[in-house]
Parts: sequence; C-alpha cells; structure tokens
Amino acid sequence: MARIILDTLSKQYPNGVLAVDALDLTIADGEFFALLGPSGCGKTTLLRTVAGLENATGGRLLSDDRDVTHLPPGKRDIAMVFQDYALFPHMDVADNIAYPLRIRGEHRTQRRAKALETGTGLGLENLMDRRPGQLSGGQQQRVALARAMACQPSVFLFDEPLSNLDARLRLEARTFLKKLQKDLGVTTIFVTHDQAEALAMADRMAVMELGKIRQVGTPAEVFHRPANTFVANFIGSAPMNLLAGETADDGLRIGGFTVPFPHDSPRLPPGTPVTLGARPEYVDVVGTSTPGAMAGTVTIVEYLGATALVSVQIGDERVPDGADPVLGLTVQAMVAEGTEPQIGARIGVTHQPNRSLLYAADTGDLVSGTGSGTGSGTGSGIPGSTAATVSTTP
Amino acid sequence: MTATAARPAAVPLGPPPSMVVKKFVSRVLFYVVIALLLVFFMLPMLWIVLAPFDASPSLTIKLPDFSTGNFSELWHNPYALRSLLNALIISLGTMALVLVFGALASYALSRVRVPGRDALLYALLLLSSIVSGTAAMVPIFLLMTNVHLIDSQLGVVLVMTGGLLPAAIFILKDFMDATPRSYEESAKVFGASPLQILRHVVIPIARPGLATIAVWALVNAWGNFLVPFILLRSADKYPAAVVMYTFYTEGGQPKLGLISAFSLMYSIPVVIAYLVVSRRYGFRFHGGIKS
Ligand SMILES: Nc1ncnc2c1ncn2[C@@H]1O[C@H](COP(=O)(O)OP(=O)(O)OP(=O)(O)O)[C@@H](O)[C@H]1O
Ligand SMILES: [Mg+2]
Repeated sequence: MARIILDTLSKQYPNGVLAVDALDLTIADGEFFALLGPSGCGKTTLLRTVAGLENATGGRLLSDDRDVTHLPPGKRDIAMVFQDYALFPHMDVADNIAYPLRIRGEHRTQRRAKALETGTGLGLENLMDRRPGQLSGGQQQRVALARAMACQPSVFLFDEPLSNLDARLRLEARTFLKKLQKDLGVTTIFVTHDQAEALAMADRMAVMELGKIRQVGTPAEVFHRPANTFVANFIGSAPMNLLAGETADDGLRIGGFTVPFPHDSPRLPPGTPVTLGARPEYVDVVGTSTPGAMAGTVTIVEYLGATALVSVQIGDERVPDGADPVLGLTVQAMVAEGTEPQIGARIGVTHQPNRSLLYAADTGDLVSGTGSGTGSGTGSGIPGSTAATVSTTP
Repeated sequence: MTATAARPAAVPLGPPPSMVVKKFVSRVLFYVVIALLLVFFMLPMLWIVLAPFDASPSLTIKLPDFSTGNFSELWHNPYALRSLLNALIISLGTMALVLVFGALASYALSRVRVPGRDALLYALLLLSSIVSGTAAMVPIFLLMTNVHLIDSQLGVVLVMTGGLLPAAIFILKDFMDATPRSYEESAKVFGASPLQILRHVVIPIARPGLATIAVWALVNAWGNFLVPFILLRSADKYPAAVVMYTFYTEGGQPKLGLISAFSLMYSIPVVIAYLVVSRRYGFRFHGGIKS
C-alpha cells in the first residue's frame, strides 16, 4: 500500500541501450497498473528497476515520498512474480510460499502454518507437499502469487504472469488476479505485451515504445482516444484503421473519396496531411453510392464468432502491391455475424464521425477527438502539429 | 483364413540365407571379443576379492585356500590401519576444501562478468595437471619447505586441493550457469543476503554437481601416491597409498598376502562413496535442472 513515483527515471545498460528513457509516472496507492508495449520496449527493465534488480542510471524512484532509488531490493517492501515464476525446484510448495518468512527468521512451524493459510486462500491446500515440478502451470502461478503475498508487501510487481498459461486458463487467471488484487488492495504493477490483458485488468495503463511512455490513462481512455498512431495501432483486438489523407473544405480527401471530418476536429488549412483513425468496430458497411462513403472491393472476411472482420480495398481497382500496410488504403470493418459481404463484392464503408479521430500525418499525434469534450489533448495538439505539418510540406 | 489359403506357399520375406548366416557369425564374433575384453579387465578385480582370503596368495587367480590370516597380519601391522585413517583425514580434508572453494569460486565466476574469464579457466585447467603432477614436484617441495608444511598432512591437503580445484571449478561452473538467475533474483527481492542465496538456493540446486565433485575429489586424494610420498617424512603420517609401497620383505619380495588384503580394504571406501552418490544424485558432470 504505497504510491510509486517515477521521477525522470532512466536505465541505460552498459552496452548503451537506453531501455528506460527519463520516465515520469505516478502510480496511485492500491492501483492496478499495467505496462503495455511491444517486445523490447523496456517493460521488464522498468519493472526490474523498480524492484531494484537493476540500478537506475538517472532520475529518482519514490515510494510514498521515501526515496528508494538506491535501496537494495530486499529493503523496498515489494514482491515480484517472475515470468517463469522462479519457484525453487528443491523446496515443496509450503517451503516456497514460506520462503520470505524464512528470510525474516520466523520459526519453521509458524512459517508452515502461515504458508498453509496463504495457500488455502488460493486453493493450494492439497498441494502443499508437492514440488514445483509436479504442478501444472496454473498451479505454479498461484504458488508464485502466494509466495509474493506471504511477505505482505506494499507493492506487487508482475512480469507477464499469464504468458505461460494456455488461452483458456489465462482468461480464468485474469479474472482471478484482478479480484485478488482488489481484495488485497496492494499497489500492483503488471507487465504485459497483450493489449487485451491490459485493457481487461488494469485500473490505469501506460503504453511504452522504445523506452518511452506514449500514453497513460484508463483502459477506456486509451482505447477511445489513443494519443498517437502508435498507441492507436497497438490497442484493440483488430488494429485501428489509419488512413492517410488530407484536409479539404468539405471534408477529408482519402483515396479519391471525400469523407466527413471527425467531430471536434480543429479547423485545419485545406491541404494539411492528416491520418484518419477509425476502429473497425466503428466502421459501417453501406452501399457504394452512399454520401461520405469510400467504395472498394472486399478482399478478406475473417470469421471471429459473433462478428466478422471484413477487409476492403478502397478504390476502383485493387491497390498495387507494396502499399503501406498501416497507412495503406485497406479499411477493416467489424460486422455482425451473418451480415458479412461476399469476397469480391463492391461495397462502401463509412466511419462514424463521433467515434473517429484525426492525427497529424508527420508526428502521429492526436489532433482531435471524440466525445468527452475535455479537449486538453486537442487544445495542445492543434498549433504544434499544424505548424509542424506546414513546415514539412514541400 | 480363406485369403491365406488362396495364396501360394508363404515365401519368407527376410534376407537370403547366406546373409542370415553372415549376420549370425558376426554377432558371435562380437560377443566373443566383448567377453575376452571383459575377462581381461575383470581379472585384477577378481584377484582383489579372492587373493586376500588365500592362505598363500600368488599372482595367479585361483580358488582361495580359505583363511583370514592375511587380515590378522594386517591388523597387527603397525602402519596399515593407521594409514587408512591418515588417508581418510587427507582425502576428507581435500574434499572439504575443494567443495568450499570450488563452490564459491564457480558461483562467482558464473555470475560476475570478468574479462577473459574463460581463458583464465582454461589456463588454470591446463596448469592444474602440472601443479599436482610430477613436473612441479621439486618447486612444490621447496615451497612447502619454506612455508614449513613439510611432513604435515595440512601441506598434503593444500597441494592436492590446489591440483583439483581448477577442474572442480570448471565442472561446477557449468552447474551454476544452469541455475536460472530468476531464482536468485526472486530470493533477493525477498531480502535474502548473498550468503543466504548461496545456502538456500544455489547450493541445493547445484547439489548433484557438488556430490559428484565431492566423490571425485575424495577418490583422487585417496589414490594419490606422489604428493604424500614426497611431502611426508614420518611413517605414521603416511596415507594408505604410500604405506602399500612398504609391504615388502627384507629381500624385496612383495608380501602378497598383506598387499592383497590391504588393497581390498583400500578399495572399499571408494566404492561405497561412489555408490552412495550415484544412488542419490546420479553421477553427472553437467548442470541442468530437472523440474
Ligand atoms: N541485460 C541487458 N543488457 C543489455 N541490454 C539489455 C539487457 N536486457 C535487456 N536489454 C535491452 O533493453 C531493451 C528492453 O528490454 P526489455 O527486456 O526491458 O524489453 P521488454 O519490453 O520486457 O520486452 P519483452 O516483451 O520481449 O519481454 C531491449 O532492447 C533489450 O535488448
Ligand atoms: Mg520482458
């Protein structure tokens, strides 16, 4: 139960890799915080730096206003669950769970009693005499959790705790872990590269890229208003459609079509290059001649159960090979099962202006957004990005 | 059934008879060679278990003319039992030192990045055969004289430890390397000190390696003749390997009864040590975690 503050925290490895790059972040007391990002972006390094297993090379780390930047791991009042769980193979479950108590010098019988108590809470009471090698992945995960709980830390650190579980078990563990964290109320930092996991479990999350944080917010904020195209592309079960175009007086010109501006878009000079972001879930399939629609050919239909993901190649002809995979002119639409069009069919697609976003083409930063009307991101976004856009226009 | 009957007489599908015979002959030859080799290597062992119980042992193998006279002679020999005790002291001491220093050094070498670490290890390994080998005996003798460790069992133990350590470190480092760091880091996060990590986590996981090294060091020290022979002066400090060398008559004839009985006594501890370790851990020279 502690608040964690990162103050321009950096970690540079001896080989020169700047894995954590001057991060500022505050994690509230009792919060379930997810660190999300692609492989190699520095999530593990950040977690290990918070744990004290890596020495920060710059900045400070505070725990409840106590500077812990240079404390050894054992003095930081944290518990960490490793990706491989790191259960000691030569100890049985009870001794594993009780290990933190052994370090504190508690008596053996007392330790085993406490281990049984913690283990029982996690449904491990019948496994106390087993060795880790005789447990399933899910059971090992719970032992690792129990061991972390046994030392009653004020912060939990989890490094991809669910990645060793199969898909089904992962869903169960997700619910279980979230409930457990809420019951214990312990501040938790949780690393994952699975955006669905982060959205489902976190109170707040940070999306990282190359050692930097690209966005911090609640899962809903990050899902609905990705602050830049990197986050937009990373979050969501199907990546957001990011369509390159430019502004005009009557709307956005994209692939020869004119589509409406997203709501709350700032006034941009005509001809400004922009990127339209529209989630497949918020793209509708309509007739080819509907006003504001982009017409194209259905190339792929992916069946997803209750829904289907339809890929539409915009334009009269198929776009030649080598089109940009992210900013190319393929639009994906999520449609209800049973309403999906045939492959090869000519259809139109429209974005929902109240749920789509506008990004600056060069910086990739959000220029406008939907709904909530806080407008802070929007306000700071306009002048900078517009200026940058103009200056780079040939 | 009808299908079988409809077919012509069953034709054997195997290779033609000439090849079968060839295969048979080569197989017989193979076993004969194996058996001969086996007998060749078994003979000394047979001698060791049979000769001690023979009233008048010779260098041939024969059914013993049963007697325990050799053992009672051994019992009354002033140096024999004493030397077994000495051998035990020397080899247990060597084993303990090799284990302690080997474990600490290999752990450190496995975890800390030292430039040129592998080159260092290979160089040590190469030199170690010289250190306790014949070539270095004169300098070692001089060295031990100067540090006043001549005619002391401690001196013998130290020299043998020095000779065994490089190989021990080399093998143990492999076991340490195979222990995932996350085990130690996990203990570290719970507040364990480096020594606690070593005691609670690293050593238990490297235990099969330590056991292997223990027996290996024990056997090496137990069987070493040269080092104690050169460094020890008083006969009552000699270990078994050296004392065996003194079992001759005044005329220079080997006292086969005494030698054979002593050989048997001398081999038993080694065999027991091997069996115990092999039973509990399996004999392994490489690391790795079975979980
Ligand atoms: N011990 C190390 N020495 C040098 N560079 C390292 C070390 N560990 C990691 N790195 C580098 O630091 C960067 C961040 O690595 P990190 O392990 O934190 O990524 P990650 O986000 O956890 O990735 P993943 O999702 O694959 O686990 C990578 O470029 C990696 O190559
Ligand atoms: Mg990682």
